[in-house]
Amino acid sequence: MTAVIEARNLSRWYGNVLGISEVTLDIEPGITALLGPNGAGKSTFMKIVTGQLKPNIGQVRIFGQKVWNNREIFWRLGFCPEVDSFYEGLNGLEFLTGLLVLYGFSPAEVQERAWRALELVELKEVARRPIKSYSRGMRQRIKIAQALAHDPEVLILDEPLNGLDPLSKRKVIRLIKELKNAGKTIVVSSHVLPEVEAMTSEIVLIHQGKILARGDLHFIRELLDQHPHMIRIKSPHYRELARKLAAEDYVLSITFEPENSAVTFETHQRDWFFERLNQLVLESDCRIEEITSPDDNLQAVFDYLVGK
Amino acid sequence: MMKEIIRVFSFYFYQARKTSRTKTFFWLSTAAILMALLIRTYRIAGNWTESGQVIFQNFLMTFFLQFLIVLMALFYGTAIVSEELENRTMPYLTSRPLARPAIILGKFLAYFCLSSLMLLFSVFISYLILNLDSKFSFSSIWTVLSYFLVLLLGLAAYLSFFNFLGVWLKKPVLVGLAFGFGWESIIQYFPGTTQKLSIAHYLKSLLPRYTTSSGKLGFLFIRLEPTRPWLAVLVLSGVVAVFLLLSCALFSYKEYLYEE
Repeated sequence: MTAVIEARNLSRWYGNVLGISEVTLDIEPGITALLGPNGAGKSTFMKIVTGQLKPNIGQVRIFGQKVWNNREIFWRLGFCPEVDSFYEGLNGLEFLTGLLVLYGFSPAEVQERAWRALELVELKEVARRPIKSYSRGMRQRIKIAQALAHDPEVLILDEPLNGLDPLSKRKVIRLIKELKNAGKTIVVSSHVLPEVEAMTSEIVLIHQGKILARGDLHFIRELLDQHPHMIRIKSPHYRELARKLAAEDYVLSITFEPENSAVTFETHQRDWFFERLNQLVLESDCRIEEITSPDDNLQAVFDYLVGK
Repeated sequence: MMKEIIRVFSFYFYQARKTSRTKTFFWLSTAAILMALLIRTYRIAGNWTESGQVIFQNFLMTFFLQFLIVLMALFYGTAIVSEELENRTMPYLTSRPLARPAIILGKFLAYFCLSSLMLLFSVFISYLILNLDSKFSFSSIWTVLSYFLVLLLGLAAYLSFFNFLGVWLKKPVLVGLAFGFGWESIIQYFPGTTQKLSIAHYLKSLLPRYTTSSGKLGFLFIRLEPTRPWLAVLVLSGVVAVFLLLSCALFSYKEYLYEE
């Protein structure tokens, strides 16, 4: 697939403080999540990609075009900034129509697009209420609405789930997934791992301005062979399974959960482990109710990579 | 780029009407009408013998020219960029398909028109109040129109200068205050060419029927050595053009960071 966003050796400093360092990244259509703690460099990367900042070194291109001072690219790009700020005194509809006017759409089209965007983010009913009276979730959604009202191909969403209640989060996640299904390229940033997991498995881990890892969550997990994988098996025969697998040298530890009839194995050879498990199930009478990987989530991957 | 300027103008002309800054300046310009009423009452009581024209001219000079347009230009001009930074709304603007100079020029025009409308209202009403006993003629209309045009030229010159300060400096209001109410006032009392280093000098040189020492406030402009009108217009237009160009160039190049 052709990369929509191409970043090459991007570095940016704020005086003596490092924003990002030598970031090289290709982003393709679909949802890509930038994941990292606060101050990792996610927002700096997004600001460079959206032409708010210039890199000290390197370059970024969207659809093959440079971004800084290139107004043509903003027809194809929508940006939802992290900050919770709006123009004084405007209501939701005025905010959207005002920003759509800046594209030069006709008045009728401005209205049509604004209402369509309000419908997408489920704010039609409160469109004429001042933004200052909106809840945090509504404000977040009106920010997303302004980013997608002109129907861009690329959406850059900086911490779109920040500060939202669970219901609003679900709404925003559903919206982002719908936009992905509509063929858009979406980059979201977050420092909350379960939120990212709910949106995508395509992640870029950023820490201290550098990219630690990039790819499918499970693929990244596979790269971490030096770290044990955890596999939890729930079975009425969990003790027998544990006894048989304990003999294998790639099983590093076994933890029992008698109250749940489950056992958790640690292994650094997941493929071999599952091969042997299949054999055991076929050879013996062991019935398995559930197999899960408790550490196969972003938090575990992130902790491993940053050496926690 | 003209279309982009108009787009920015339409958004900000609409948006700025709802800001607390505009509401404050609306009431401040309305205060001019109240002051005119007070002066009128004082004059009716026989305490002020000069004609309405002279009083209006003095009023225009002290309240509008040396105070209101400087204050308006300072807060609107510096706000063109700094309000976007303080309110953190800059990304909404700079992620649109607009040339950066169009943002500056569009906002400049929006704020200029908004301020002009407020001035138009209070200047004409004040003139009427102070000249109620005069016979109205076309020349009276021309006189007040001339006063108003001078104010507009002054507003544009100050606005473009303060706009430049806003684009350039992180905290432009303090520097602007020092310039608008320090430098611009003090230098008027210097003889010779020194006073030509102020915008106010050229504005005062343009005032119609200007009399150097008449009226109770005549001592304020006694030192004026007027520049020829065509040259004053040229200098003021030059100030507008130069500072707008500098602002556009700097804004196109500069990055704006704010604390997160």
